[in-house]
Amino acid sequence: MTSLNRETRHLEEAGSQLISDAFKAGADAAEVCGSYGSKSKISLEKQDYHLAASDEGYQFGIRVLKGQRQGFASTNSLNSKELKEVANRAVEIATFSPENPYFSIQSVAESSSAPTLALWDPTLALTSLQTQKEWIEHLRKEILKDKRIRLNEGSLEVGKSLSLVVNSKGTHQLESETYCAWSLMAMAADSETLTSFDYFSNIARQSARLGDHIVQTTARFREALLKNLKTGTATSYKGKVVFSPRAVLDILIEPLCYHLNGRVILEGSSRWNLQTLGEQVLSPLINLKDTAWLADRFSCGTFDREGTPTQNLQMIEAGVLGKIFLDHYSAKGLHQTSTGHASGGSSSLPSVGPHTLLVAPGATPFSELMRQTNSNTGALLLVHRFSGQTDPVTGDFSGVAKGAEWWVNGEFQFCVKETLISGNVFECLSQSLLGLSAETSIVDSGSESPAALIDGISVTSG
Amino acid sequence: MKDLASRIQKALESAPCWMEARYHRRRSHSLQVQKGLVKQTKANLTSGLGIRCLVDGAWGFSSTSDLSAEGIQKAMRQAVDCAKSISQMKKSAVPALPPTTLSQGEFTLEGYETLEKMPLQQKLQAALRAESEIRTASKLIQTSTCVYSEQFEDKILITTDGAHALSRLARNEIRLSAIATDHGEMAEGQQTVGRTGAWDCLFTEHPMEEMGTTAAQLAVDLLKAPRIPGGLATLILSPAMVGLLSHEAIGHTVEADFVLSGSVAQGKLGHTVASPLVSLCDSGFLPQLPHAGGSLLVDDEGVPTQNTVIIENGILKSYLHNRESAAAFGVAPTGNARAWLYQDEPLIRMRNTYVQPGNQSLQEIIESTEEGYLVDCPLGGQADATGEFMFGAQKVMKIEKGKIKHMYRGATVSGQAFDVLRSVDAVSKEFHLDLGAGYCGKGQPAKVDAGGPYLRCQATIGGVQE
Repeated sequence: MTSLNRETRHLEEAGSQLISDAFKAGADAAEVCGSYGSKSKISLEKQDYHLAASDEGYQFGIRVLKGQRQGFASTNSLNSKELKEVANRAVEIATFSPENPYFSIQSVAESSSAPTLALWDPTLALTSLQTQKEWIEHLRKEILKDKRIRLNEGSLEVGKSLSLVVNSKGTHQLESETYCAWSLMAMAADSETLTSFDYFSNIARQSARLGDHIVQTTARFREALLKNLKTGTATSYKGKVVFSPRAVLDILIEPLCYHLNGRVILEGSSRWNLQTLGEQVLSPLINLKDTAWLADRFSCGTFDREGTPTQNLQMIEAGVLGKIFLDHYSAKGLHQTSTGHASGGSSSLPSVGPHTLLVAPGATPFSELMRQTNSNTGALLLVHRFSGQTDPVTGDFSGVAKGAEWWVNGEFQFCVKETLISGNVFECLSQSLLGLSAETSIVDSGSESPAALIDGISVTSG
Repeated sequence: MKDLASRIQKALESAPCWMEARYHRRRSHSLQVQKGLVKQTKANLTSGLGIRCLVDGAWGFSSTSDLSAEGIQKAMRQAVDCAKSISQMKKSAVPALPPTTLSQGEFTLEGYETLEKMPLQQKLQAALRAESEIRTASKLIQTSTCVYSEQFEDKILITTDGAHALSRLARNEIRLSAIATDHGEMAEGQQTVGRTGAWDCLFTEHPMEEMGTTAAQLAVDLLKAPRIPGGLATLILSPAMVGLLSHEAIGHTVEADFVLSGSVAQGKLGHTVASPLVSLCDSGFLPQLPHAGGSLLVDDEGVPTQNTVIIENGILKSYLHNRESAAAFGVAPTGNARAWLYQDEPLIRMRNTYVQPGNQSLQEIIESTEEGYLVDCPLGGQADATGEFMFGAQKVMKIEKGKIKHMYRGATVSGQAFDVLRSVDAVSKEFHLDLGAGYCGKGQPAKVDAGGPYLRCQATIGGVQE
């Protein structure tokens, strides 16, 4: 459990007071989402140390119902008088807001299946500034091992936090976590070439072997940056492209989640609905799972923004739509049960979103995918990062393929510059999906995916 | 505010080093209406104090929501401890900040009280009407949404070297969205506007009803629009798109922190980087456009904001600076230091960025275009230190032999910033500052605005290949 006893007491007392004050002001039901956080951060800029910072604070958001009218207010104050004003403000807003039949505040039972997550490390919670300085020195030294690296910014943050969800229907959820998060934004330059900026972030919730972890992730990032120094010009074509795990998640899976969102389905803006459940909607190669139970990922926890227990869900299995993401609002509207996907923080109303998405690997080794060529160019583009626009409604995407690689016969040739790609998410995940790699990668301590070989992509060289 | 300012001033008298105290109170409201239902009505209040100090050549920062004398003293001590913790590790010490003109007094932008007095309920009723306008504009509209948000910012900025500024401003924005469907096809049209000022400022150029019907019509038109061919093309960018180009493609590369990191603008001061038709500025306050979305009179280091000429007739004249970078370049700070919340340290950010108008009319520019596209309705963008940029547009119209023809689906435009600016061969006299409800992201959000004239240039469209 937690050693944040005083902070837990403050959170619990403020939560109780907010609900009590809301009822005194005329609320019929109330829910409080509260959080406490304490962190210290050391940042780097322009190859050097830049700033050290510390912050500590609370945040409370109260959602109230008067009949089917809803109001919400939030504050970062622990002051009793200000908490009362916030509760009154939420009730006042509910008073003049029109009714919405889908609003609800519900009792949720504690999960019987959620595992005990290793989110709290007493050693990490007591990390000294000296240790933190040693960790960021590992980061700085490792990235600057090659003089061609230009470090724009980076940071290493150590923190501990508490999350509380409590409501007038008996829900009570509390969770604590420790973390160390590090990130870098850098480019590489030699006498003639300046690469694009690249970025990575990582998180750990346990202090064991953290120094090694920092060095390994930073070294991988540095080598990827240096690879971008070998540049060349692509040829425009329409055909096969390989999307890296990051590209699969950013370009294809993120907009897919829009259509899996229960609120979007409720409003009729998704291409799918409840009747589509059980139908083949994507290529049989696609298996997509969502989980909140991987402690080494950013989005992790045993309950969601409304206190509903999280669970492992098979969203899509062999291309068949299995589940959708639901919070209480969308679940009520669709006559379903929440799946524990209410997202958001203490200062925002619940919305719907995934936790950690896992795209299952395919059967083809990555090296074999890369041996594919397009007959019109004799080459194959490997897309890593995407700087562009995806219209989640239509699925059309168009943008710059940053640091994309030009391969011929399974051999890397150079990284391309000023090259745009365009296509459609649903075509990519259906008839145009030719294969998935057998290897997967975790992207920025979040979701995980294999690489994908996709046909029909337009590649425009600038 | 004045009592708190006195308390902070008194606390800073015991500062052992250069120190800056920034109190920030933000009240915000947000409404979301969709398909006739109110999905969200909320109020947020965040307030606290950020303390930044410079000790032995290193920056330290601490923030707190405890505004008691003890709380302020504790934050001051923590900031100093933070700075000391890295001062020995720094390879290059930050020199003492040179004296500069710092703001003293009260600075309020017009519209704060008017917006504050207008009841939230009245704004909600207007949002309901706006959403209804979209929904009823066409039978093909499947989903209609109106989102309104407003922020009231109260700040106190005091430094040990003389800044003492109390500032207030209000910002608001509205986003209207329509999703149309027809025979399995779907398309979205959006209209957004963001201003600094009262409610009415949002609708000075386009009434709310017109914005709603425009969003709906755009969604319907996009349903049957074909995908655009990819490749290098002649483009006439609308003022909003020019704003995006100014901000993303040029503005970021001339932020002095990016310049010092090696951006493409490094070493280019005094060089020709654009067509002589191009003059580019970034301004904290434009008297002729007082409600521009990124307006502010004092930055978050206490420096008065000003109109900074970045490019004059094609020649790069200035970078955008905070106090530290200005000292490094031996120039005066430009008032570009901005922090999102009290917990955030100030970073170099843009405000209202624009290309100055030219002499031709839009009609003349279209008529003199043999083949190209008119690009409008921005969807956001990104830029790189290399100057490579991309931005999205919802609406692209084909131009053939001097006449506007059919519409294409939205597309991405990309290029190398200075190459694109060098290709500019026509600049209109029509001028608008209307980036919309846009925020810039650079670790922290910042409300910005941007715009300019219509501008003809060459850039690459990320469309389809056959």
